[in-house]
Amino acid sequence: MIEFLVRRALISVVTLGLISVIVFAGVRLIPGDPARVLAGTEADEAGLAEIRQKYGLDDPLPLQYVRWLGLALRGDLGESIRTRQPVAGVVAQKLPITLQLALYALLLALAIALPAGVVAAVRRNTSWDYVASGMSLAGVSVPNFWLGIMLILLLSVRLGWLPASGFVPLWQDPVQNTRHLLMPAFVLGAALSAVLMRQTRNSMLEVLGADYVRTAYAKGLGGRAVILRHAIRNGLVPVITIVGLQLGALISGAVVTEQIFVVPGFGRLIVEAVFTRDYPLVQGVVLVTASAYVLINLLVDVSYSLVNPRIRVRGGGDGA
Amino acid sequence: MAPRAQVAPGLDAPPAAAPAPAREAARRRWRRLARRPPALAGAALVVFFAALAGGAPWLEPVDPTQTDWAQIRKAPSWAHPFGTDDLGRDVLARVVWGTRISMRAGVLSILLAMTVGVPAGLVSGYYRGTVDQIVMRLIDAWLAFPFLILAIGLVTILGPSLTNATIAIGLGATPTFVRLTRGLVLAAREEEFVDAARALGAGDGRVMTRHVLPAITGALLVQATVSIPAAIIGEAVLSFLGLGVQPPAPSWGTMLNTAQQFLESAPWMAIWPGLAIFLLTLGFNLAGDGVRDVLDPREA
Repeated sequence: MIEFLVRRALISVVTLGLISVIVFAGVRLIPGDPARVLAGTEADEAGLAEIRQKYGLDDPLPLQYVRWLGLALRGDLGESIRTRQPVAGVVAQKLPITLQLALYALLLALAIALPAGVVAAVRRNTSWDYVASGMSLAGVSVPNFWLGIMLILLLSVRLGWLPASGFVPLWQDPVQNTRHLLMPAFVLGAALSAVLMRQTRNSMLEVLGADYVRTAYAKGLGGRAVILRHAIRNGLVPVITIVGLQLGALISGAVVTEQIFVVPGFGRLIVEAVFTRDYPLVQGVVLVTASAYVLINLLVDVSYSLVNPRIRVRGGGDGA
Repeated sequence: MAPRAQVAPGLDAPPAAAPAPAREAARRRWRRLARRPPALAGAALVVFFAALAGGAPWLEPVDPTQTDWAQIRKAPSWAHPFGTDDLGRDVLARVVWGTRISMRAGVLSILLAMTVGVPAGLVSGYYRGTVDQIVMRLIDAWLAFPFLILAIGLVTILGPSLTNATIAIGLGATPTFVRLTRGLVLAAREEEFVDAARALGAGDGRVMTRHVLPAITGALLVQATVSIPAAIIGEAVLSFLGLGVQPPAPSWGTMLNTAQQFLESAPWMAIWPGLAIFLLTLGFNLAGDGVRDVLDPREA
């Protein structure tokens, strides 16, 4: 167990290292003088010299990388070209908004997917199953930004039930906060819900065919008891992994969703940064996102291995 | 390591399948596919959009970039069945011509992903050891960038255009193909036909390309049918964000971007391009499900 954890953590460290190299190299690939790239087109000679000195841009590349990584590890991700604020500060300020949105989306997705998936599996090949599977297929196929636009058209423009855009912080007005986040969370959660429902249905079908479930039935337990107490427990384990794997899609989705509903979170930040050629900001956001992704997946894997001992053996082998 | 299969000297490598049974298998597969109306409907949708993309110049001779200041944001009518947009351009023509861009981006990006990913996965899974470790760690790092973040990073470096969006989407899909190929190769290399080929003196390159690769092609094709719709949505998303196809080219994503500003006065501008993306993706997904069922060896 300890060996698995250490091994898994080591792999994560290697991955994080590679990510930092990729991000560092990416910024160097932007055509033009790196000092100009990092300081912005409006920077004067003094500003350029300051950047040059801070990142040691006259040193050899490996040395520059080490210096940059050192700064990043201490939380110094540079300054936004546009606002002159520290990148780390801007990220910390925007992140909670996106996290709240993602959390709502995840909860909505689970609330829809788990019951639907279980029902579809238990009532296999009935109209329940067809409706649930059909919805899931539609959910995977519908582009979320179009879904968002159509919902705005229906719920905001036509019916006027929900605000089309904007954001109110939770502590200012929880009700308005929820009203503003309801549509974005649904749009963000729709695809996830579709994927989770499929996975729930598949793994429940597998579990329902297993010997121990048949044994439970043979013991004389009622259908509800077997499903709730025996089948669901094991059936939902693979679903946890899918949540972890879908995290990247959730982040990508958040970028688009925030753009449609004008939610001032992380996703809007990065798109704005690209358009204003705010390279340090793009770099910081990409680095933070990828690192967070690796760490969360590490947590998912570890918690998963605690739930299911068989994973430890498999994951410890050749890294499969 | 499985024990090497005993092969009599002089015996030729076993052919994958004799011609007659192959035809029989194909017919059986076709019959299985024919029994799945959703899969057929999906295939029909894909064929329909492919025909639209290929035949756009003949099917829709209206220039999708032709502006008409007298026809700004007109509701659907006989002259413009899908209405006109904010510059008086025909929405139907733009949707039809947009099919080309979407199909091209979807197919080319996945071809790129397979061109890079399949050889990498083959080598990684076949040789295992250090090569495998290096490839897998690189893939882990690559996968840590959520698709859109990776695409945004690449487009920041390369600049926004359809080609660069296609490259970004292709590179984003590459790890999936590396991992899948590697997993399939790991399983296939333990098979007896691989041992047999090696016992007959086939080199690594030959075993990989002539024996392992054909055995895993089916699974790779299934993945491709799943990946293409995702790539199509990817292009639409990038163009929607302004990071892909640039105006005035008729991309469904770009059209939706503009449409969002006129939701109240011209909702048709938003409905048709989105519906097109939805139907094309749905078609691929339905057809992909069918192909997966048909090729799944567990059911064969």
